[in-house]
Amino acid sequence: MDDELLEQFLIEGRDLVADAQAQLRILALDSGNKAAIDAAFRAVHTLKGSVGIFPMTPAERVLHFAEEVLDRSRKGTSALASAEIARLVAMLDQTDRWIDEMERAGALNGSAKAVADALVEENRSPAPDDEPTQSVPSTTPAWAAALIEREAGAIAQAQSALTAFRYAPDREAFFRGDDPLGLVAKIPDVTALAIFPAEGTWPAADEFDPFACQMVIEGLSAASLPDLQLLFRLVSDQLDLHPIDTIAATVAGNTGEVASVLRVDAARIDRLAEGVGELAIAANAFAPIIARADALDTELAQAIRSAQAGLERAVGSIQRAVSAVRLVPLGPTLRRLPRLVREIATELGKAVDFTLTGEQAEVDKQIADGLFEPLLHLVRNALDHGIEAPELRRAANKAPAGKLDVAIVRQADEVVITLRDDGAGIDPDRIRSVAIARGLLDSEAATTLGDAAALRLIFEPGFSTAEKVSGVSGRGVGMDAVQSAVDRLRGRIEIDSRLGEGTTFRLRLPANALTTRLLLVEIGPDRYAVPFDQIRETVRVDSDRLVPVGTGWACVLRDRTVPVLDLATLLGGSNSARLPAHLLVTAVSGEPVAVRVDRFGERIDAMIRTPTGLLANMPSVAGTAVTGDGGVLLVLDLAEVMG
Amino acid sequence: MSVRVVGETIFVEGIAQVADAEPILSALLEAPGRTVDIGGATGLHSATLQLFLALRPRIVGTPGDSFASRWVLPLVDTGEGQE
Repeated sequence: MDDELLEQFLIEGRDLVADAQAQLRILALDSGNKAAIDAAFRAVHTLKGSVGIFPMTPAERVLHFAEEVLDRSRKGTSALASAEIARLVAMLDQTDRWIDEMERAGALNGSAKAVADALVEENRSPAPDDEPTQSVPSTTPAWAAALIEREAGAIAQAQSALTAFRYAPDREAFFRGDDPLGLVAKIPDVTALAIFPAEGTWPAADEFDPFACQMVIEGLSAASLPDLQLLFRLVSDQLDLHPIDTIAATVAGNTGEVASVLRVDAARIDRLAEGVGELAIAANAFAPIIARADALDTELAQAIRSAQAGLERAVGSIQRAVSAVRLVPLGPTLRRLPRLVREIATELGKAVDFTLTGEQAEVDKQIADGLFEPLLHLVRNALDHGIEAPELRRAANKAPAGKLDVAIVRQADEVVITLRDDGAGIDPDRIRSVAIARGLLDSEAATTLGDAAALRLIFEPGFSTAEKVSGVSGRGVGMDAVQSAVDRLRGRIEIDSRLGEGTTFRLRLPANALTTRLLLVEIGPDRYAVPFDQIRETVRVDSDRLVPVGTGWACVLRDRTVPVLDLATLLGGSNSARLPAHLLVTAVSGEPVAVRVDRFGERIDAMIRTPTGLLANMPSVAGTAVTGDGGVLLVLDLAEVMG
Repeated sequence: MSVRVVGETIFVEGIAQVADAEPILSALLEAPGRTVDIGGATGLHSATLQLFLALRPRIVGTPGDSFASRWVLPLVDTGEGQE
């Protein structure tokens, strides 16, 4: 088998499965949506052609069936019933699993034929409880349909999903002090705008009332539906919104334009980034040369200085461009998540309503790659321990199907992933007693432990509250795996739970990993760097505010006693007793801990290189960074230094 | 904000408010061929823009209102070919 061909298929096949599933999601809400049926048909048709190249006959058979179902509906003989859509989803889920198998084993296992038979048989005769298969009118409102046709060009060029808006301010808007176009100007990422007379035609000049608002404003924006609702909250009665799936809409518009996308091996980008980093360092060599030239010939020095400035600008611009190339949308990483949720829920006998939003957010590739495992673990945990079985939910007056939402938001330099379930919640008392039973803490410590801190115990190694080991999350891997994965990505995890109402986990991860903001710290003659995202705050206190506690020290910061560790001691040196104390406050398992250093130095942005050689065996060293003057600094991983 | 009529040109300057639509309309009704110069305008209220859309006068100048320049004014026929 041609490896390159298979590799290409693994990428494109999964893309096609995801495309088709996205269209089926639209059809589940709007079964008459012609554009979605067309797009789903095309995706399945292409996918069938792709699997045909490989020894995947069962997949080909299933997809052939799916294609026929979609084709019948496409030709208008029958709209899709919801049960049919669910089966198509199952067929695509199965195809996705087969693609996974091809990646793992290079072939499908022996049971594939039987699985395909079952899927196809099930579909041959419609189940008696099927809805009548008659044409259902599309729920796309007329104004949106007209807009989609009018703005096909803008839709074809869209990089993400769009929202169509129609704002019809009433005649009295100006009197009330509204400026409708001023409000529209605040819509982010507008890609099309049109203004029409409310009455169909504008009145003649001599009949025109300049004080009456007589226009309707329509357009497209890449902003989300909720963002637009928020912006227009004061005139919500005058606003209509309609989400537009850009892929489906493109097919409807039939513009035939193909986005120009180049797939590049990530390792090549990494080499490029490394090369740019070295270029930046090489450019730094000018500084001492200029100093020497200054002594000999100031005019020559000035000429070199301006050449250096030009070089630095160019390097800066390449650095930004390379960072941007490494940004990838989270969508492709997370596209398997809905399928896995369905599988896990089925395995556990639970019903769940899963939504995933914000997956178009872009993050550095390293973060995107490292994110899936911990997120999947949290999802498993929510399905297994959070969401109750349907009968328990009914008894608690809840809907039998649980809700599980994963929402991704990019906030400045962070990407925030919120996972919320409406399950049983976590009982801090139960956590305390299990922690005591497991020997994680004694009963005295447990009684003084706050609820929030008690909840964090679930991230401790060796903690698992599952009454019985289930096949889903009881695989010997606890939530501590989530914590360490998040630590590796230099992220944070927050947890909030209400008993009986549900649990929310919030993962905060840096969105850009290429350069890291570092704080230089000094201990005696030595300088180290600490990543900014590990630092909560820096404080300077007089040494007399440090009080001895046990074998160490503590300090009251913001009415809270915080343990103080000495960095020199932690690194194996002798305790420094300089005045005053400079404290770096970091967090260990969510609790503040201060680290004492002699002095704070400058803040720099640098690329952290993975430690090699001897340094690779020192967990407390996160890597090395090169400073502007060409010096090499050790970058400390505070959590490891303290561990 | 002010609306000044100099010969065949209506100058719209500063931030155009709701009330400014009326004098522009009067000036255009008085002499429909007049040009509106919005080069000195820094903001254009919906009422003014609506007037332009409805009456389509010849407009010159680029206002300091990026939204209006980018999205609204292209919708107003600039009057080319009507002279």
